[in-house]
Amino acid sequence: MRPSLKLTKMGWIALTYFVLSLFAFIYLSPFIRSFVASFMTWEQASKYPPEWIPNPFTLENYMKLFRLELFPRWIFNTALYAGLIVVGNIVFSSMAGYAFARLKFPGRDALFSALLALLMIPIFVTLVPNYIIIYRLGLIDNIVGLALLSLANVPSTFLMRQYFLSLPQEVFDAARIDGCGPIKSFFYIGLPLAKPALGAVAVYQFLGAWNAFLGPLVFLRSPENFTLPVGLSFAFQRSMWTEYTPIIAGSLVAAAPTIVLFIALNKYLIKGIVVQAGKG
Amino acid sequence: MFKQVKGDENMARVFLKNVVKKFGKVVAVNNVTLEVKDKEFMVLLGPSGCGKSTTLRLIAGLETPDEGEIWIGNRLVNEIDPTKRNVAMVFQSYALYPHMTVYRNIEFPLKMARVPKEERRRKVIEVARFLGIEDLLNRYPKQLSGGQQQRVALARAIVREPEVFLLDEPLSNLDAKLRVKMRFELRRLLHDELQTTTIYVTHDQVEAMTMADRIAVMNAGKIMQVGSPIDVFEKPANIFVAGFIGVPPMNFFEGTLIEKQNNLLLDLGSILFRIPKTYYSTLHPHVGSEIVMGIRPQDIKVALEPQEGSYEGKIVGYEPLGTETYIHFTINGIKEYVAVIPRGMRISLKQKVYWKPNLQKLYFFRKSTGEAIY
Repeated sequence: MRPSLKLTKMGWIALTYFVLSLFAFIYLSPFIRSFVASFMTWEQASKYPPEWIPNPFTLENYMKLFRLELFPRWIFNTALYAGLIVVGNIVFSSMAGYAFARLKFPGRDALFSALLALLMIPIFVTLVPNYIIIYRLGLIDNIVGLALLSLANVPSTFLMRQYFLSLPQEVFDAARIDGCGPIKSFFYIGLPLAKPALGAVAVYQFLGAWNAFLGPLVFLRSPENFTLPVGLSFAFQRSMWTEYTPIIAGSLVAAAPTIVLFIALNKYLIKGIVVQAGKG
Repeated sequence: MFKQVKGDENMARVFLKNVVKKFGKVVAVNNVTLEVKDKEFMVLLGPSGCGKSTTLRLIAGLETPDEGEIWIGNRLVNEIDPTKRNVAMVFQSYALYPHMTVYRNIEFPLKMARVPKEERRRKVIEVARFLGIEDLLNRYPKQLSGGQQQRVALARAIVREPEVFLLDEPLSNLDAKLRVKMRFELRRLLHDELQTTTIYVTHDQVEAMTMADRIAVMNAGKIMQVGSPIDVFEKPANIFVAGFIGVPPMNFFEGTLIEKQNNLLLDLGSILFRIPKTYYSTLHPHVGSEIVMGIRPQDIKVALEPQEGSYEGKIVGYEPLGTETYIHFTINGIKEYVAVIPRGMRISLKQKVYWKPNLQKLYFFRKSTGEAIY
């Protein structure tokens, strides 16, 4: 390679790294800010211009958090809520996605279009009707009642449908000739082949449920039934002001499982994006 | 030896009667009537999109006919689910289950049929031994070569001891050398050893000619001709079959049939082709009409010097194949024709050649309908 070409190539690489690093910093700076602020006193954390080195360094925010009697309970509630939603979505969305992708029944495409149209309805519109339904069922202030609303959802169904569509038709034809009806085909062929998509659904739903705030805020009443995001806000919100540093510390603790999950399973998230971008 | 035993009462004849299949406005299979005899190796041959795979899928039950009847043995199977038709199918892509080992793939149809575990095991090992894939049983499909995957697909079909084998272009994903080998093996296995009724779909006429007991040539959803390989080659029923069977394809010369002094001549515009007396009585009723004369490239003799009864042409291209050479030539710069010449004949581009057909091997077709006259 000629020297001038080599230089140009290196210049481009340097520029690429610079731009990527800049964006990474912009995206990461709130997280870094939260991390350092969780070791600051509220006086220092609320100063302007912001300071980046904790002085004095304090673990008081974390201590406050772990002194909360209900903190373990909130973690348990959040895990239960996320767990129910993950399981529900894996079961129902995979079945619905399979039906939309592989079964032939009258009105299938119209029904699917109607389902997609639901994506355009803001959550606030359905909040009140959903509240009434859950209220009538006597499931207000109940984690199971809250989870009931999200056991299946449109994006998961869409993702599963797209994935099942991407599998070769011949494999399902072969299964049919080998003696599988639609249900056996689903359990013996479709489901085992859909593991990557199920992984993506599980990760997306877990992240969504773990961080959910609005639903738990509206449908849960007793502090012992709160999930972590609502619980933290409840514990440190005073009538005139909010104690943000313990909330920040709590958010970091709460985010820990999702960060671990992301690092462990990000290939499924990427797979999920690829599948959704596939054929329609 | 793994062998199928069938009684006479279970004759695996496949019979399609006036079968029609439409996809929207497209008629994929158009009033097809076809009988495949018990233990026969029938090849459905035709170009892409001619309806041959759809016909196979209709027999398998993967598609439902809009009209007509499909019989397997003594059963009308129109309303019978594919799981209960007792047919096995091998797909072009083999359609192996990627998440199962070879053993589980072969075992799968038996498992679905609730065959006891011990018997399943015995049969899987037996069929794997039969096909020489015993040492592959613990591998996954992605760890196999194309040829091995094909054997596994065959094993999965054979293990069920079906009444009918349906094969949808099973060799087209293999390389040329392996295809020739498997062609021979498949015929020996399914026809000679298992003696099972087989319907084989292909667009490759060499496969059809070498494997079939009978060939059904299809085009545009219709059956053009059914016959033995020699029959469809030597006595094509129409221009389509004549043009489709044979490599290189048959040459067609269009012209008006005229009569002069008790001799029949074909007026090709640039030349007047004298038709031998042998064809007189058959062609005479068509004097004055437009007909098409067909000559196979192998039946054209080419010389570098004029011969008695030869016509002049000019070479516009050639394809040396080693054993022989295909030459492309034009007559007075008009349409292109092909002839096969022996190797060793020295030719060059734009060279003049003199061609002479074998007058005993001429074919004649009506131009209006394409039907064979002789």
